[in-house]
Amino acid sequence: MLSTLQPPRSLSLLPLRRFQSSKHIVSAASSSSTAPVTSPPQSQILTTRRSLLSGETTAVEIAKSYLSRIRLTEPQLKCFLHVSENVLKDAQEVDQRIAKGEELGPLAGVLIGVKDNICTEGMPSTAASRILEHYRPPFDATAIKKIKDLGGIVVGKTNMDEFGMGSTTEASAFQVTANPWDLTRVPGGSSGGSAAAVAARQCMVSLGSDTGGSVRQPASFCGVVGLKPTYGRVSRFGLMAYASSLDVIGCFGSTVADAGMLLHAISGYDRFDSTSSKQDVPEFQSQFLSVDHFECKPLKGVKVGIICETLEDGVDSGVRSATQEAASHLEALGCVLTEVSLPSFSLGLPAYYVIASSESSSNLSRYDGVRYGNQVMAEELNKLYECSRGEGFGGEVKMRILMGTYALSAGYYDAYYKRAQQVRTLIQKDFKAALEQNDILISPAAPSAAYKIGEKKDDPLAMYAGDIMTVNVNLAGLPAVVLPCGLVEGGPSGLPVGLQMIGAAFDEEKLLKVGHIFEQTLKGSSFVPPLLANVA
Amino acid sequence: MATRALLAVISASPNRCFISSSRIEIQSSVSSFSSLNFQRHSRKIHRIARSYSSDKDSSVLPPPEVSRLAETARISLTPAEIEECETKIRRVIDWFGQLQQVDVNSVEPAIRADMDGGNLREDSPETFENGDSIRASIPSFEEAYLKVPKILNKE
Repeated sequence: MLSTLQPPRSLSLLPLRRFQSSKHIVSAASSSSTAPVTSPPQSQILTTRRSLLSGETTAVEIAKSYLSRIRLTEPQLKCFLHVSENVLKDAQEVDQRIAKGEELGPLAGVLIGVKDNICTEGMPSTAASRILEHYRPPFDATAIKKIKDLGGIVVGKTNMDEFGMGSTTEASAFQVTANPWDLTRVPGGSSGGSAAAVAARQCMVSLGSDTGGSVRQPASFCGVVGLKPTYGRVSRFGLMAYASSLDVIGCFGSTVADAGMLLHAISGYDRFDSTSSKQDVPEFQSQFLSVDHFECKPLKGVKVGIICETLEDGVDSGVRSATQEAASHLEALGCVLTEVSLPSFSLGLPAYYVIASSESSSNLSRYDGVRYGNQVMAEELNKLYECSRGEGFGGEVKMRILMGTYALSAGYYDAYYKRAQQVRTLIQKDFKAALEQNDILISPAAPSAAYKIGEKKDDPLAMYAGDIMTVNVNLAGLPAVVLPCGLVEGGPSGLPVGLQMIGAAFDEEKLLKVGHIFEQTLKGSSFVPPLLANVA
Repeated sequence: MATRALLAVISASPNRCFISSSRIEIQSSVSSFSSLNFQRHSRKIHRIARSYSSDKDSSVLPPPEVSRLAETARISLTPAEIEECETKIRRVIDWFGQLQQVDVNSVEPAIRADMDGGNLREDSPETFENGDSIRASIPSFEEAYLKVPKILNKE
């Protein structure tokens, strides 16, 4: 079912330099925009569909324009580890279906970036690790299969921190991705490549994975929408496991509607993933009404809890201001705001790192150089394992495996892993209680905007500290969406800051409704990075 | 809370986050956000008392021995890597120690978010149609066998 957004314009007639490049810089002192009011962002998925069905353009023309933009911007951004050789061929197939009058899937012609820890048949899938440097999986992840069945086109595999362990893409074995808003800054991680690619309009939407915030934090840093579903909403079959009780596949888009439609496409029970849920997948699209159809206070009565632990000292003042303005905006839309305290909040970070490193030490034991990946030959089998893994894994991965090995050792299991799981129960209870009193909870997505490349590389604890806003949501298995809510000072034109909205388990519908209405009514900011102003 | 967790992780000598053993009812106040007043003193929120001590390491377990861990995990490390890892890992494990202070008496461990299990499929083998692609990935493959070096038993 198509929902009615604003009248689309053909992508081929929309050179990006026509986007407004003036920005609203948020500061504590000013709260009103001096920039011209921009129209709300449009769904690229729906725009593409209408352009194709009306004959305004073809899938091949659209694909060519995106490939051209990739060629122009990749030397600076390095979002992709691999660009598919089949993009134009896949686009041609879509055009042939249109010419024959055949039915088009909801993602027909949509160009999708895929994080490199998601298996794509025949296409390199390395998890940004040397140990899988030339690996080409023999199968598609379930999420990829669903995308292809609905007509989506995989543009390529995006850069990430190795095996998902990191918050900047600096832990990639191959390259560091730059933030399209400021090329000297990180895009966030671990799904930094996927976030930056959408921000830079190298693809329309993309897939990432979120274990402790790896979709939400880069969404905030890059000024795009990042959607983390409920644990079990999307099959993990084909997602290279980092921490099996925390991992989910998530979606990036330039609008809430796009992220939501992509999520709908990949959701559902999968017999190959016993942790995938049999819960019905609602029609998320029904939430994406046109702004013209909004009532006066479209979110009247929606109860929003602002997590007070996330707004104290230690969070950048610009981020706090942006969050306060976002809360104001929600109030103006009719929401009822209250403060919520989650007493176990600060325990989430150490509990998360115990659980994640423990589970990863087990999950990464399969990379032994025997059945796939890079092998370092040795005279003896254990030596082969040790050398293949020693040379194949990067420093951060090795460190986390060792931490996990320690935490799970005989005599230590109760003190660390079991205890962290008990803390996890406390965190789940706090969230459940808060979400019984509120429809959604809000917080910043990260304590700061994007920082400089190299700034936190050598201090693991400083890096981990940035995950404080996001890890608890993974421990509780809840859905959350991050959407850009303002800009702070920094970079050539300011740096985006994201608002995180957290919902009850399997209640993505409500999250997407609130997020969509928030986004479509937010005045003054156009979240298109300055890099694109110079790209035809 | 978040602040103190942040300060706890970035300080040179890690502080401890301490939570009293009884959980206190949380009341949240309904405050108007029209003036966006986030001042701490105007809120009527009861918090669990937190204090920080700079006393010695709260973890009573022996610190990690990186070379032994590396052997267990089958990862070879150079001496320089061992030295670098040791400092970093000790800092992180030390930081994990704050979990020891939490009262988890009679709290069930949560294995994962959704505790409902039982979505198991039939244990019936199916032939995978792309076996050649799997075999193509094997570094040392010799006619139906994966070739590996000898295994030496360590006594």
